[in-house]
Amino acid sequence: MSIIPFGLVARPARALGRRAEDLTLAALDAALASRLGAEAVDRVLGSELLSRAVSRALEGPLIEAVARDAVRYAVIERLANGLSDDPELERLLGRALESPATERMLVRVLESRLVDEAVRRLLEGEELWLVVDEIAQSPAVTEAIARQSVSFADQVAGQVRDRSRSADARLERAARRVLRKPSAEP
Amino acid sequence: MTESSRYEGLVTRAIAFAIDAAIVDLIALLVGVTVGLALSILPIGDTATVVLVAAGGAAFLVWTLAYFAVFWSTTGQTPGSRLMQIRVLGENGERLKPRRAVLRFGALVLAALPLFAGFLTILVDARRRGLHDMLARTVVVRAPATAAPVELTLGVARPLDSHTPGTSPVHDWSGG
Repeated sequence: MSIIPFGLVARPARALGRRAEDLTLAALDAALASRLGAEAVDRVLGSELLSRAVSRALEGPLIEAVARDAVRYAVIERLANGLSDDPELERLLGRALESPATERMLVRVLESRLVDEAVRRLLEGEELWLVVDEIAQSPAVTEAIARQSVSFADQVAGQVRDRSRSADARLERAARRVLRKPSAEP
Repeated sequence: MTESSRYEGLVTRAIAFAIDAAIVDLIALLVGVTVGLALSILPIGDTATVVLVAAGGAAFLVWTLAYFAVFWSTTGQTPGSRLMQIRVLGENGERLKPRRAVLRFGALVLAALPLFAGFLTILVDARRRGLHDMLARTVVVRAPATAAPVELTLGVARPLDSHTPGTSPVHDWSGG
C-alpha cells in the first residue's frame, strides 16, 4: 500500500514522458536531415532486399487489391474532380503543353519505334475492331451518316434543279428567236 | 418571278420523266427477272410462252399507266417530279381526277409518237404546256418541298388552303 499520493507522482511522470517524446522526434528530425540519414535511405533503396520486397509485392495480390480499392472508393474520380477544378494545375498544364520541350518530346515519341509497334499491335488485336464495330453500329453514328447522305443528296438535287431551270430558260429563248416570237421574260 | 417561270420547262420535266422511267423500268425488270427465273424451271410449251410474254407486255403497260395515273391524281407528283420539285395540276389549279390522269398519260404517248414533237410546244407556250397538257387541260408548276399545294389564281400562285371562306378563286388564263 502506497503512502505517497498518486497525483504527486503522476504529474511529473507525464511531463517526463512528453519530454522524452520531444527528444525522440528531435533526434529523428536530426537523423533525417543528416548525411547519414540520406545515405541510409540511398542504401535501402539500392538494396537487393528492397528489390525483392517490391517484386514480391507486385507478384502477389497487392496490385489487384489496390485496383479493387481504387474502384471501390472512386479514387480516380476523386482525383480527377479535385484536379480538374484546380486553376493552378490548369495553368501548369497549359505551360507544359506549350513548351518547346514538350513538343520535342512528343515528336520523339511519335517518331519512335514504340508508336509503330503499339499501332501494329492495336491493329492486330481483335478488340479494336470490336470497338470500331460498336461505334459504326451506334445509332448516333448511323443517324449522322444518314443525315449527311440526305443533305448531300438534297444538295445534288438542288444543283440539278437550278441547272435544269437555267437550261429551260436558254432553250426557250433560242426557240423564240427561231420562231421570231417575243420573249416571255420582261 | 415572271408569269412563265412559275411553270416548269422542258428540261426540268424531261429529267423528272427520266427518273420516273428509270423507277418504272427498274421495278419491271426486277419483277420480270424474278418471274422469268421462276418459270425457267417449269416445263412450259411454246404457246404458253407466247401467252406469258404477251401478258407480261400488257402488265408492263398497266403498271406504267397506273404509276403515273395514281401519282398525278393523288399528290400531283411522281417521285421524279418530287425530286425536281414540280407538280401536275389542272388548269385551274385543282388536283387531277383519275380519269383525267389516264387521259393525260394517253396524250403523253400521243405527244411522244411523232418523234417527241408534241413536247416542243412547251418551249413556246406561255404556260409551258405540251400537247398532252393542252389535251388534258393541265399545267406543270413549280412546287418547292416545303410549300403546300399551290392554286393558280389571277396568274398568282398561292397555297390551296389560303382561300378566304365564302369566296371562289377567279382564274385568268388569257395569257396563254
